[in-house]
Amino acid sequence: MSDPTAATPVGPRAGAPTPRPKYKRHLSNYLLDKKLQLRYVLVVTILSGIIAGALGFMIYQQRRAASESIERDLAALTQKDTSQDQFQEQIANDLQSEDQALVYKMVGVGLGLVIILSLYLILMTHKVAGPLFKVAMYFERMADGRLGVVTPLRKGDMLVDFFTSFKDMHDAVRARAKDDVVAMDKAAETLRAAKNQGDYRGEGHDKLIEALEALEKHVADRKGKLTDFPPRAA
Amino acid sequence: MTEKRKDATPTPKKGGGGPAPYKRSWKNLLINKRYQLRFTLFMVGLSTVLMVGLGIWVMRVANETTEVSMTSVRGTPCPKIPSIEAPTDETEPVPMKLPDPNEPAPAPAPAADPPEGEGSGAGSGSAEAERPRVKVQIDESSMTMMPQAPTVAPVPSDLGSKVVAHWTCELKLTARLEALERGRLRILLVLIGTGLLLVLGLAAYGIKMTHKVAGPLFKVGLYLGKMRSGRFDKVYNLRKGDQLVEFYEHFKHGHAGIVQMQKDDIARVKAVIAAAEQSGLGEHATIVELREMVTRKEKSLE
Repeated sequence: MSDPTAATPVGPRAGAPTPRPKYKRHLSNYLLDKKLQLRYVLVVTILSGIIAGALGFMIYQQRRAASESIERDLAALTQKDTSQDQFQEQIANDLQSEDQALVYKMVGVGLGLVIILSLYLILMTHKVAGPLFKVAMYFERMADGRLGVVTPLRKGDMLVDFFTSFKDMHDAVRARAKDDVVAMDKAAETLRAAKNQGDYRGEGHDKLIEALEALEKHVADRKGKLTDFPPRAA
Repeated sequence: MTEKRKDATPTPKKGGGGPAPYKRSWKNLLINKRYQLRFTLFMVGLSTVLMVGLGIWVMRVANETTEVSMTSVRGTPCPKIPSIEAPTDETEPVPMKLPDPNEPAPAPAPAADPPEGEGSGAGSGSAEAERPRVKVQIDESSMTMMPQAPTVAPVPSDLGSKVVAHWTCELKLTARLEALERGRLRILLVLIGTGLLLVLGLAAYGIKMTHKVAGPLFKVGLYLGKMRSGRFDKVYNLRKGDQLVEFYEHFKHGHAGIVQMQKDDIARVKAVIAAAEQSGLGEHATIVELREMVTRKEKSLE
């Protein structure tokens, strides 16, 4: 599955000469959250099918009743005239084939409706599932401590308010993490310079050096995770 | 997302008995109007269009069928009532004339009309022929002329049953016509009733269904707000029946990742503070700043 977090192309930056390719929607990517999307699609499609089927059956029933009434009356009119038998049969056949054609027409229209409706609903629900998928991917990155830049949603996506809320949170956490990294980096630097001012001999000195090294490594690791994600290959 | 609903996160019970289960309320069903109404209205609108479009078609066909059936019923023959008629040769009664003493005595009237060509008897002539003839009966014992008794046509023996059969048939036909009309009206009422029920039911179902998606989003939104202001407290589970369970798990992973970041920072900084204190740098301004950072981070995890 393509990464929807790369929805918006990012311009060339320093150290990232290759522009990120524009994200393209693929047909296979439209069912991002099968459970959510198929549930809605199935509910609406089955409901429409039931309505169309029930009313279609009523239409057919009424038409058939009319045809049978005509056939009966015609039979009553021509029962004493055997020369009219063929005419009567032909009329009955015509009426029956017309009713049959109506059934085929209705089934065709119903199937078309179901197919078009399903496709449209998948597109519609994709506009909800897309942002959720994107946010879920950012959450997984957050779980690894990676706090890169959040790219905006694609045009036409829904849940804009929710995504804005997520982006605000992400930006705030990222800004705070950046400040912390700067503060820890500065503290490590200051303490390294100041370590000779205190009791630098003995176990305490070694422990401070060790703790500062660990802190610097931690800061470096955190800095790496705060940078934007590396550009993907085109 | 609207902020009308109160905090969706369950409130822990006093005494630490675990979170109280959140109860769904009808007031809180529309928590993300834009999303929920869009999906619900689509469902309702589509069903309405289908119901109206196909309903009109149904009614048109039903009208045709009713007309055909009515025509057929109207053409159904009913047994006729036999006619009872008086004999056609009876002439209009003529008032009898009193005998005029100045006129000669009238000839006795015949009991029946003589056959044609036999009218050459006494008193016959052109003036005689033009006179209206009165049918009379003569009582021979008293020689009195009496007007002839009216002829009564014979009544068929099955007249009563035929009359009953005729009117039964007529009433049955009328009833069938009325039943057809009622059937057409019933179809219309059923269509309108079903349509209205469908629209109302779908609106309620759509809002409830989308609420199960909007609910978790609302809850996550509240946590996002807390995280934005630097609070990473405990995340509770979703309510039973909510959707987006997987998405919520992703959120919990993300939240746990941020919490872990804070804990790692606290551990590293605390180690530095401890080592600095051992080295005699406990009162250094940087260490004071680091202590503040630790306090802030620890507070954010409470």
